[in-house]
Amino acid sequence: MGGLDIRMRDVACRHGRVEAVRDVDLEVAAGERVALTGTNGSGKSTLLRAVLGLHRQWAGEIRVGGRGSRTAAEWAWRRRACGWIPQKPAGGRFPLLAQELLHSSGAPVEAAEAAEQLGVGGLMHRPLHTLSGGQLQRMHLARALGCVAAGAGVVLADEPTAALDFAGQEEAADLLTSLPVTLVVVTHDRALADRCDRVLEMAAGRLREVR
Amino acid sequence: MTAATGMPAVTAAADVGELLQLLPVQRAGFALLLAAVGLPIVGVVIVGLDIMPVRFAMMHVALLGIAVGLLTGLDPVLCALVACALAGAGVAPLARTPDGLSGAMGLLMSLAIAAALLVLAVSGVNASGAFALLWGSILSVGTADLVVLGLLAAAVPGLFFWRRRDVALLLYDRELAQCSGVRVRGLTLVLLVLVAVAVAGAIKLTGALLVDALTLLPALAARRLGSSLKSITLWAVGIGVAVNVTGFLVALRLDLPPGPVLVLTAGAVVLGVHLIPERRISSWRATASVSPTASAPSSPSAWPRH
Repeated sequence: MGGLDIRMRDVACRHGRVEAVRDVDLEVAAGERVALTGTNGSGKSTLLRAVLGLHRQWAGEIRVGGRGSRTAAEWAWRRRACGWIPQKPAGGRFPLLAQELLHSSGAPVEAAEAAEQLGVGGLMHRPLHTLSGGQLQRMHLARALGCVAAGAGVVLADEPTAALDFAGQEEAADLLTSLPVTLVVVTHDRALADRCDRVLEMAAGRLREVR
Repeated sequence: MTAATGMPAVTAAADVGELLQLLPVQRAGFALLLAAVGLPIVGVVIVGLDIMPVRFAMMHVALLGIAVGLLTGLDPVLCALVACALAGAGVAPLARTPDGLSGAMGLLMSLAIAAALLVLAVSGVNASGAFALLWGSILSVGTADLVVLGLLAAAVPGLFFWRRRDVALLLYDRELAQCSGVRVRGLTLVLLVLVAVAVAGAIKLTGALLVDALTLLPALAARRLGSSLKSITLWAVGIGVAVNVTGFLVALRLDLPPGPVLVLTAGAVVLGVHLIPERRISSWRATASVSPTASAPSSPSAWPRH
């Protein structure tokens, strides 16, 4: 089984004075597929963003592949080790071509192949802001596959199927859960959650095992 | 320079030819050409980082630098450049949040003008003398200004070419850039220092109030014409060269101050570009324009689990 393990100890995240995540202890084995469910605002995305250091106000311990995140070098390693699919990927402030997004995965050829598989291979020369929500999400999915090809051992996906049609949701779920890496996916999509090994639920910042 | 307005066209054109023989005019033309290479790209950064008020902030910081220079006896223009570079570096950490930089520019502007007025008052330096240095003129460009512009003309396109993928990602989305291994802090710092130094350097060319003609306006027009960082950058430099050459020659021919003529020329280009219907611009853009194909079946088996 490929992938890297993830360990969280006593993790808490704040948005200013609001405590969005509290007392989270979680162990995800290498190669395991975990769905993170829960109501809007329960802290799922914040927890995922804390793993990548995108959410800065957090405490506790998060280790990926046994490595912490105390130094800039460790953060750089962490971000290489984790492919990320952002929630509702925005059009961005400035134009970026789809091929530039795929190139940022570190494995542009494999990412482009994945884009072909996902039906967005013909949009490589288009700026991202001209793509539809579903096309953009597929492009980010292709980028994540590129990250895996470049050596990432974890994929952190934040509602990766939210903008897709039903067929697209099935397709993306199959693709994500077949990757030879550890998968942590925030989702409200039952089909995707059903394909995962474990389902966790967040409520008011706390985590509990559902399945 | 003599008034050429109302004179026959042939004579006026001959006047321009004669004017171009003069050393200050040659230096001004050379300075504008150098400026057309580096400064519009700086404008692209200003648009990309959404820091339009940077010119006002740097104007005030430059005044503080000039005040310190007059107080200490150092070269005031050099002090202004250093002050702007330090200010650019100083606000870089605030780029973490989307609106952090924009707010920082307002704060910087207020603090810098307050500090400048305080320094001027305490030192007993003539304030109007300090303000006078902010009203630069293209025809008074010196060797030091040419050196600064030359360095910018080499450094800015060089950085954009060397780090084009990183810059494109950073200007698109800071978090995505961070997750793609871009050293966003360092790159933002370098870009902000370049912006600050470029704006301070350009103040000498057109005066503080007219700096936008050289930086922001070509970038604003290019932003509408280009569809990627590369194409926007090339459009910005092209428009910058066209505006600077046209504006300068028109100013010489009509015996008008070059600064305002450059701004009006650049402004006319921006307006003209925004009046072009979107569908016509789209057809110019080098896009593949391939319509999305039906979703091809994926092959999960291509990613075997070990």
